[in-house]
Amino acid sequence: MDLLPSSEQEEIISSAAQFLAATVPMLRTRELIDAPSNVDAKAWSSAAELGWFALGLPEDAAGVGCGLADETLVFREIGRALASGPFLSTTLAARVAAFGGDAELAAAAARGQRVALGLLGADASIDSASGAIDGDVQLVDAVDADLVLVAGPDVASLVAVGDLEGVESVECIDPTTRLSRATASRVRPVVSVSADVDPVYRRGVVLAAASLTGIAEATRDISAAHAASRFQFDRPIGVNQAIKHPCADMAVRAELAWAQTLFAALATDERRQDAEFHAIGAKVVAADAAERNAAATIQVLGGMGFTFEHDANLYIKRAHVLAHAFGDTRDALSRLIRLPAAV
Amino acid sequence: MDLAFSAEDDEFRDEVRTWLAENTPSERRPREGQAMRDYDLAWQRLQYDGGWAGISWPVEFGGRGLALTQQLIWFEEYARTGMRGIDARFVGLSHAGPTLIARATEEQRAFHLPKILRGDVVWCQGFSEPEAGSDLASLRTRAVVDGDELVVTGQKIWTSFADVADYQELLVRTDTEVPKHKGITWVICDMRSPGIDVRPIKTMEGGTDFCEVFYDEVRIPLANVVGVIDNGWSVAMSTLSFERGTAFTVDQVQLSSTVERLIEIARQRGLLDDDEIVRAFAQARADVAALRALTYVGISRNRRAPVPGPEGSIIKLHWADLSKRIARLAVEIVGPRSLALTDDDDGRWADRYLASFAHSIGGGTSEIQRNIIAERVLALPR
Repeated sequence: MDLLPSSEQEEIISSAAQFLAATVPMLRTRELIDAPSNVDAKAWSSAAELGWFALGLPEDAAGVGCGLADETLVFREIGRALASGPFLSTTLAARVAAFGGDAELAAAAARGQRVALGLLGADASIDSASGAIDGDVQLVDAVDADLVLVAGPDVASLVAVGDLEGVESVECIDPTTRLSRATASRVRPVVSVSADVDPVYRRGVVLAAASLTGIAEATRDISAAHAASRFQFDRPIGVNQAIKHPCADMAVRAELAWAQTLFAALATDERRQDAEFHAIGAKVVAADAAERNAAATIQVLGGMGFTFEHDANLYIKRAHVLAHAFGDTRDALSRLIRLPAAV
Repeated sequence: MDLAFSAEDDEFRDEVRTWLAENTPSERRPREGQAMRDYDLAWQRLQYDGGWAGISWPVEFGGRGLALTQQLIWFEEYARTGMRGIDARFVGLSHAGPTLIARATEEQRAFHLPKILRGDVVWCQGFSEPEAGSDLASLRTRAVVDGDELVVTGQKIWTSFADVADYQELLVRTDTEVPKHKGITWVICDMRSPGIDVRPIKTMEGGTDFCEVFYDEVRIPLANVVGVIDNGWSVAMSTLSFERGTAFTVDQVQLSSTVERLIEIARQRGLLDDDEIVRAFAQARADVAALRALTYVGISRNRRAPVPGPEGSIIKLHWADLSKRIARLAVEIVGPRSLALTDDDDGRWADRYLASFAHSIGGGTSEIQRNIIAERVLALPR
């Protein structure tokens, strides 16, 4: 039992952080808001070359062969940096293709062929046997994507965007995310994989939790830095417990989110019987941490926090997008109560 | 990184589980007084005879000297027995004993440590005073050197188990002319000394193992000073860092079984059709899981950096909030029957609910924990 990164894992963390800071700093992410695509093509292809989309794929599927825990290290940095683009859905699409038997498609996704994330509407469904989808679906980051990943707890599918009807782009609450709406009439997947073969949905839950943790940590740090450096009444505002204690609560939430996310990732890697329990727990805790830390940061920053110019608003907006990926909190809690207790 | 325990650790867990299954007392623990003391000390003696006394203490001081991971395993299995995490043995084993190990003389250790391990004595803590709570260093209980003795006059408060204790780890002011953190002395006080008056305080929960202690010219041999006169603050600080180490693990682990038991009760009573209750319990499951994960992270960290860091405050703060929330949820599930303080399943939830108000006060209030986290983890100004 060891929940601290090894020196190789520390290396993954620092190189991911440095790569993101060098290629898609916040300034660049903001430039992309008004560009045709929100993806920095150069950063994206470099990420593919670094093996980010194949990190957790088994070596016999032309992957890097790392665990989900290693992937969480990268996705935490992506969340912290607010890098835009379909990192999560492309990574998981490579798995769906690899475990669904389409090696060529798996290789393409691993090389960075972008795959959007599909969010099923309340009345939409995914057939757990065939992986076919039916009903309204929202597409996240579908610019330049021919395929969309739609996953449920039992099955994950890759569906052709061309098979959907009425695809229409809409403005997203998060300006660094692209959103469109579409309808599926019993659309069969290009390839799908059952959760028994590979728990793609659960991996998505854990990786979303990792990015949400990154947001919780980034906003905690913004608040702490502001509280220490902003002077009013000749003192830093952080001496006041009305500021200090919300900052402490942010630290608590971020630590809990990261601990549970790692626990869930390792439980999945080690095929523990309570892996599902811990994955859902991670998403619940991390979504809460990201949203509340970002919201508290807006408050700590005062008027500056309410501006578009400060990044705080981008964190809370991204937190809302990620909170809906692979089941929102309401859905997660109703699943969690039905599972057997953790071991 | 990995979650799995080694084969050796699994074997150790089996050993612990077997021993606890065969030796855990089956009688209910008396709530207070001499009967409670006898019960707790007999349980300690049993652990001593079984080779389980002082699991975190170094072997050279008579402890078991377990590695952190094995301590965790012990606490996890201990928690499963349903025995209380904190009882009359707590100060001796988790505060005073470790402090003596860190700072006492050979003679002091040789006299006191075996008694604590064998379950011969109960220790209590004499830190807080009516005017020195969170601001502990402002304590005023005065001690004057007279020959080879200290003469102590003053008052301590919130002293758990003082009514049944043999010894006390006592903080006294020996110099009033220097800044408050200086001029404090850490001394071993024999609770049977003339001039000590222990008055139990009845708590909102109804228990009385919580006391005021008055000192009227109590004479304590200078040989009982631990460390150096006027340097007691640093001795006391080594105690506080133990307090935020693994000492609360049993309470944390038991919170998880409490949640599971409450879910079962809610299911039996048909309350799991209520969305609000489902959400509250599912959220509790997630939060309790995260608390355990953080405990594991803390142990992983402490294994590499043996001085416990401020993450202990994060665990303590979260545990306090969470256990209060769950205790409140319990009385909601039990419904009107929680109003009766009867000695049955329903009544016991009410007791736990009332007791839970102490969780965010004892061992450093949640407000103080937040200060510690903000100042030491986030480097915010004081």
